Amino acid sequence: MKLTRKQLLGAAAAGALGAAGIYELVDELAEAPDRATAGVLPVEQHLLAGMKVFEHEGVEVIEPPLHHQVVTAKLGVEARRSELQEARETLEHALRKLERRYDVTPAGLAVTVAWGLPYFRRYVPALASRHIPVDLRASRSKEAPVSAVLDARRFPSDPDRAVLEDNDVAILIRSDRREHVADGARAIFDEAGDLFELTSIRKGFQGGGFSGGRSLPKAMATAAGVPGADLIPETAQLFLGFTSTQLHTQGQSAIANFETLGLVDVREGYFRGGTNLHLSHIHEALEAWYLDFDFRERVDTTFRPRFEAKDGAQTLPQRPEDAAGEPDVESDFRRFGAIGHGGSIQPTSRLQMDIRGTDGKLYRKGKAIPLRADFNTLDNPFFWTADPERDGFDERPAAGVHFLTFNPSSDDFHRNRLAMDGVLPNGTKLPLAPRSRAQGLNSVLETTHRQNFLVPPRAHRSFPLVELLR
Amino acid sequence: MAVWRLLILPALAIVLAGCSGEDKVERAVAAKERAGCPSAVKPEWQRLANRVKAPVYCPSWMPSPLDAEIGGQWNSGGALVDKDRSYLVGFLWHEAGSGDVHVNFRGYPGQTAMPRCIDRRRPIPCFSDPRGTKRIGNKKVTIYTVSRDADQWHVTYLWRRNGTLYTVSEHVAPPLTFRRVVANLDRLVGGLELIRPS
Repeated sequence: MKLTRKQLLGAAAAGALGAAGIYELVDELAEAPDRATAGVLPVEQHLLAGMKVFEHEGVEVIEPPLHHQVVTAKLGVEARRSELQEARETLEHALRKLERRYDVTPAGLAVTVAWGLPYFRRYVPALASRHIPVDLRASRSKEAPVSAVLDARRFPSDPDRAVLEDNDVAILIRSDRREHVADGARAIFDEAGDLFELTSIRKGFQGGGFSGGRSLPKAMATAAGVPGADLIPETAQLFLGFTSTQLHTQGQSAIANFETLGLVDVREGYFRGGTNLHLSHIHEALEAWYLDFDFRERVDTTFRPRFEAKDGAQTLPQRPEDAAGEPDVESDFRRFGAIGHGGSIQPTSRLQMDIRGTDGKLYRKGKAIPLRADFNTLDNPFFWTADPERDGFDERPAAGVHFLTFNPSSDDFHRNRLAMDGVLPNGTKLPLAPRSRAQGLNSVLETTHRQNFLVPPRAHRSFPLVELLR
Repeated sequence: MAVWRLLILPALAIVLAGCSGEDKVERAVAAKERAGCPSAVKPEWQRLANRVKAPVYCPSWMPSPLDAEIGGQWNSGGALVDKDRSYLVGFLWHEAGSGDVHVNFRGYPGQTAMPRCIDRRRPIPCFSDPRGTKRIGNKKVTIYTVSRDADQWHVTYLWRRNGTLYTVSEHVAPPLTFRRVVANLDRLVGGLELIRPS
């Protein structure tokens, strides 16, 4: 029997979904932490109950799940109401089955389904134009309505070859246990596999470096033999040597929801409890990082020039009261000719005033808005791809990060990312050459792929708006 | 039983390899390194020692394809000597698409303080991020992973002798990894011969 290319790809993707590859080592190198059990399922798909918070080097840190997988796909469903509604039921059935089997916590399994603009444009264009939230702040700036979810764009320090993707859907699967992730992926794609034409599978890991022994990123990079692995500090949470999940750097509660801060109009409320997901892949040049920047410079460029840090520190405080404003970033640049990563984005990523959220909570000035879900990877750039040539696929492992962040809108993320390149929210453009040494961290990062997605609330996660088709 | 055979055979192979012709070659190379600075290159190193009025170190081994001939095909511009008698002798192989092999020898006669380099108009240590020390022969070397100026992206071995600071560094760039460079520097520093001014 002769197989079509589509069938061949499908078979290869199905194999890759459950395959562990080098990530099998994560189970040997790290123990799953003790976690609280889940209570009520949150309205939001992007929130994870049962996250562990502990102190490291005197700073409160969140311990994220160990194993992560993102599957992107285009849909193989005809744009007909009956087919779409059937597809919706099939996917929802698979997801509910998983929720019955596992707590939605890192100890169990968390699945987040996010939808790209190509889905809305092709399948539900009229409903999308009525229901997709509108970014009020961006609309004011542009003096025209701006959707809360935008097509991805390149930023000044992105290479021209960075791929702006057009997937219909991305499914994020997270757990401390690899077998849960594999089981979740199989359950979804066994049951609903006919609906999807997979475009990529992305895998990786996070955390595991706080017990004092050799950390997971260090051990994984060393086992994979990636250049610069020997230079990673023994206990580093991430390849680049610093902890990034300080409690104060992560958006809390529902702050990253579309509606919470009043930045976005959720219109009739269909997407209330939803958010924007930015998904990208970034290569990290570890040798350049560790051979060209000494510890003091790595602190300066990761946080802020002259940021206080004991020699060899890995987890540095990022208190709300210390968050930098635009004048601080401009002043740093004038004094030191450089900006720090953390400091430069704080004028956009931290609240500039106290805000009472629509959820009734008071969010204090200096609190972080984005909720990051990034994880280290040895994918190059993906674990599996349907289009190796376009994606620049290489079987040799490479150090990188699958960067995922939930923000109240795409524009909110874009503002953060532009600030990293010295484009401040007040319009000031600091004269930083793209990827120059003065950009610090950006000079060792190379983005390969980007896309924004809409993450619906849990109630509308499967083929959103399809139930409203008439 | 089969499992034991699997374990024993590689072990036996390693033992046998220890007695092979390859080992004889290794021993011959090691003996040559112990013999010190090759006679073909020694006169130029002697000239350098005389010029800086201080002992200099000449290598008995260099990573392929480099040799240690000052003024030879791999040497960058002879020995560069500053007014304060500090010197730099660099050897570079570069092939577009293949990579670099770049080794620098430095000495700072009469100085033991960390040398300073200028970065964005401010003086900073030329070598930073110490990564431990090790004893190689009679030298106690400190390993630095961040180096400046002509040593940028090099791993540097630094030691002091009789009031003079010496460094040998090698560039981490394809085809060499960090681990390979450290192994090269171990061997390089282990085979240095001290040439005194005459």
